[in-house]
Amino acid sequence: MKVTVQQQQLAHGVNIVSRAVTSRSSLAVLSNILLKTDNGRLRLSATNLELGISAWIGAKVQEEGGLTVPGRTFVDMVSNLPNEEVTLTVDDRTQTLNVKCGTLNTDIKGISAEEFPPMPSPDLDNAIALNIENFKEQIQQVVFAASTDDSRPSLMGVHMTFDGNTLEMAATDGYRISIAKSEMAQKVPQNFEALVPARALAELSRIAVNGDESVYMTFPQGRGQVIFHMNDAELVSQLIEGSFPNYGAIIPPSFKTRTVLSTAQLLKACKQTEIIAREGSYIAKLDIQPEVDGEQSSLLEISARSEQTGSSEVMVDASVDGVPLLISFNIRYLREALEVIKTPTVSLETNAVHTPGMLRPVGDDHFSHIIMPINTAR
Amino acid sequence: MRIHKLSDTIASQIAAGEVVDRPVSVVKELIENAIDAGADEIRTDIRLAGKELIRVSDNGIGIPADELELAVSRHATSKLSRTDDLFDIKTLGFRGEALASIGSVSHLTIISKLDGVDAGARLSVDGGDNSTVSLVAAPTGTEILVEDLFYNVPARLKFLRKDITESRQITGLITRYAMAYPKIRWTLTQNNIVDFQSTGSGDRFEILQTLFGTQEAKSLMPISFKDRNLAIEGYISDLTLTRSNRKDITLFVNGRWVQDASLTAAVIRAYNTMLMVGRYPVAVLFLEIPTHLVDVNVHPSKAEVRFREQEDVFSGVQRAIRRGLLAYTPVPDLASLNLWGRTKPSDVGDMRFDNHWQAMETSTETEQVQKRLAGPASQQQTLPGTYLPLLRLVGQVASTYLIAEGPDGLYLIDQHAAHERVLFDQMMAQYHASMTPSQQLVEPLTVDLSPEKAGTLEENLEILVGLGFDIENFGANTFLIRAIPTIIDRGDPREAILSVVEAFEEDETPLLNEAQARIAARVCKRMAVKGGQSLSEAEQRNLLLNLEASQSPRTCPHGRPTMIHLSAGLLERQFGRRGAR
Ligand SMILES: Nc1ncnc2c1ncn2[C@@H]1O[C@H](COP(=O)(O)OP(=O)(O)O)[C@@H](O)[C@H]1O
Ligand SMILES: [Mg+2]
Repeated sequence: MKVTVQQQQLAHGVNIVSRAVTSRSSLAVLSNILLKTDNGRLRLSATNLELGISAWIGAKVQEEGGLTVPGRTFVDMVSNLPNEEVTLTVDDRTQTLNVKCGTLNTDIKGISAEEFPPMPSPDLDNAIALNIENFKEQIQQVVFAASTDDSRPSLMGVHMTFDGNTLEMAATDGYRISIAKSEMAQKVPQNFEALVPARALAELSRIAVNGDESVYMTFPQGRGQVIFHMNDAELVSQLIEGSFPNYGAIIPPSFKTRTVLSTAQLLKACKQTEIIAREGSYIAKLDIQPEVDGEQSSLLEISARSEQTGSSEVMVDASVDGVPLLISFNIRYLREALEVIKTPTVSLETNAVHTPGMLRPVGDDHFSHIIMPINTAR
Repeated sequence: MRIHKLSDTIASQIAAGEVVDRPVSVVKELIENAIDAGADEIRTDIRLAGKELIRVSDNGIGIPADELELAVSRHATSKLSRTDDLFDIKTLGFRGEALASIGSVSHLTIISKLDGVDAGARLSVDGGDNSTVSLVAAPTGTEILVEDLFYNVPARLKFLRKDITESRQITGLITRYAMAYPKIRWTLTQNNIVDFQSTGSGDRFEILQTLFGTQEAKSLMPISFKDRNLAIEGYISDLTLTRSNRKDITLFVNGRWVQDASLTAAVIRAYNTMLMVGRYPVAVLFLEIPTHLVDVNVHPSKAEVRFREQEDVFSGVQRAIRRGLLAYTPVPDLASLNLWGRTKPSDVGDMRFDNHWQAMETSTETEQVQKRLAGPASQQQTLPGTYLPLLRLVGQVASTYLIAEGPDGLYLIDQHAAHERVLFDQMMAQYHASMTPSQQLVEPLTVDLSPEKAGTLEENLEILVGLGFDIENFGANTFLIRAIPTIIDRGDPREAILSVVEAFEEDETPLLNEAQARIAARVCKRMAVKGGQSLSEAEQRNLLLNLEASQSPRTCPHGRPTMIHLSAGLLERQFGRRGAR
């Protein structure tokens, strides 16, 4: 193989795929990055068998071929090259990659490209096209609620439901659920569901640059995988097997109290409270007070106490429609949900101490977030 | 063979002792008789943990009317005659003592009918005195009623455990025999409620599922082994299913349930380094050995055995298990369990990398048991309030230890043990303050347990609620978890519950005021971060901070060290900066 590429592009591509490189694998080739000529471009790939990422960059191809080289070494080297043309030459006999850039001339020992696990290729004819910008936002609205604890693997996934031309995504760590909906340009031929690792989606939204219009999603037959295809990059992930909570049944059909607040004010109050609450398992009390005629206007009071640090109370203006309620939540859950709400006002809906609360952006029914309460009295 | 009195010589050779010391031992003798009688249906009814009533009915060969009196007299049996037979025992009973013993401490009634005979016969014994035999209508087989057990020996009654414990032992006994004799239809009722039932289909796995719950039974794999003088059948756990004690290693030799420490040890050794320190496999093994190579006449309860060729048996057991493990476990997994970068953090528990520690832990096992008996409270008194100095975090090594610097040297901290301590302190503080906030779950989680375990959990439900769990019995042996203590912020809540039922088998009679501490310690151990989990810098810092706040930061609630301190002096000496001059 002999190709010439731009350092900046190479660094960008390497940076994208490096997230799938494993450092702790018994298979040496999994800590390597694959370099391979591919239809007049240079393809870079890395995989840890659960997640695989490829990136394509423009190249002057003088000789076809490929090699895998140690990921860490290559990443460090490429990022320290001057912003000039880089010539990459593989010596097939010695399995060595020669890197020439400016006055630099380096040889890196590699492993044959043959040993790199084959990555499935997408069947683009039957792909689902998703608008990148919308999809990225949708991902961002749910991934944070997924579990990062591998003791319950199915909660580490984002549940995707394709129904006609709507895509609903949901994630939960067992204590809160984030649900985001979007409309797709086209209907899916058949409704279906998939459980995609949250980590893969988080990586995807990092890779997917808004330069592209769409990301194409395909499910290669019988492999239990999903492929996300973009112009210059591709991400392959194992799907998660296992059942996801039937979250539709958890959303209360109606609420007794609806509290509408300024998103920014509430977020600020949550952040202030969290400083104290984090010492005590993040418990915060929400005192929802409807207007009392002629005496007091409606408001929400958030308070927290901690043995070590002290206590905190903060009032937020609110319009409360319903009955008064004193309910406890994990303040971090509230804060994290508010951080992905874009509308200026937000509603908090509640029923009673032992039933879930729901946050929704006012005037946007694409997002809802359910938080299970904390029982403090017994 | 007719029932007859054993000669005095044989009688004197039989391991002497009282076999009937609690309800479960009565049940054992009675079902063994039923099995010896060739029954394929055995029903056991229990009332009030066996103190009010034990009734075992079978459809076996029955006892002739004219032999009933003999059956209840001492050293009368139909199963053994010459001395030689003692070394070649093929039946479960042979001592001819059980019915006599039971008759002397209860109101015993026997109703029995032979096949092909019109009427059955009935005999009652009251504290040793027989009534006359009368004729009654009865189905073919034998029914034995034991009422008011120990009514005339109040001392025995006093030594019985709590009813639920006694009942659970009976359930444990019947379910185990049901596994050994899967072709028999077993029914067990306690206080008129069916507690266990098997179909008699001959399928052992079906019974295993009842005994271990469907979830756990999935981790049990069948093994089968045959050698010159030894055949083994049964099920063993893969590496994902382990226990904190040996109680779930069940061994049958020639159809007899034995509780034999050295045979159990052989099973554990077969797993060798594959399990973590302090974790034990689950196994149900049925050994068949030519009867002349086994001596069951060691102990009155017949629960111990001696093998003529002991080494052969032990090594056979080990080979059988190894072979099973290798067949079902992909080889790279076995190897990777000993690596630093382990693949499944949830499996590693408190595995230690340091061989020295490992050796220390096993060799001082008795010491640890003693410590454990002393309980966490007294432990803390021997290590008086020694707060840690302020520590500066240096970092995490091997995803298992934290390194910190203090004014007086270096601290190497075991993240699992340290987190265990921190959780435990918080949980107990909340418990004592009656302030135990609990986080509700999005979806209640169900836990399926064996009847035995369900009993244990039921007994401790109140404590769990006090610690911040919202958990309730959801019928039969299923429990629903609705909320968990807020301080537990990782892991599978079901594991917390399982840790409680496992743990309690280890020490069944904790002092009451220590029970919460004991349960809390188990839960915290299970839910603490494990070795092998990488922690964010914030998490590491937080752990240190909380440990500094603890009054006994140097040990986990189970008494293991949380840290090693390398003093500045020690470091200087080791590096030859001082003293070597
Ligand atoms: N369920 C039964 N069915 C038939 N025979 C029985 C049954 N239970 C006891 N017997 C008879 O009574 C005898 C005495 O029983 P037991 O005291 O348990 O002594 P062992 O079982 O050691 O012989 C047995 O040998 C057997 O002949
Ligand atoms: Mg007997």
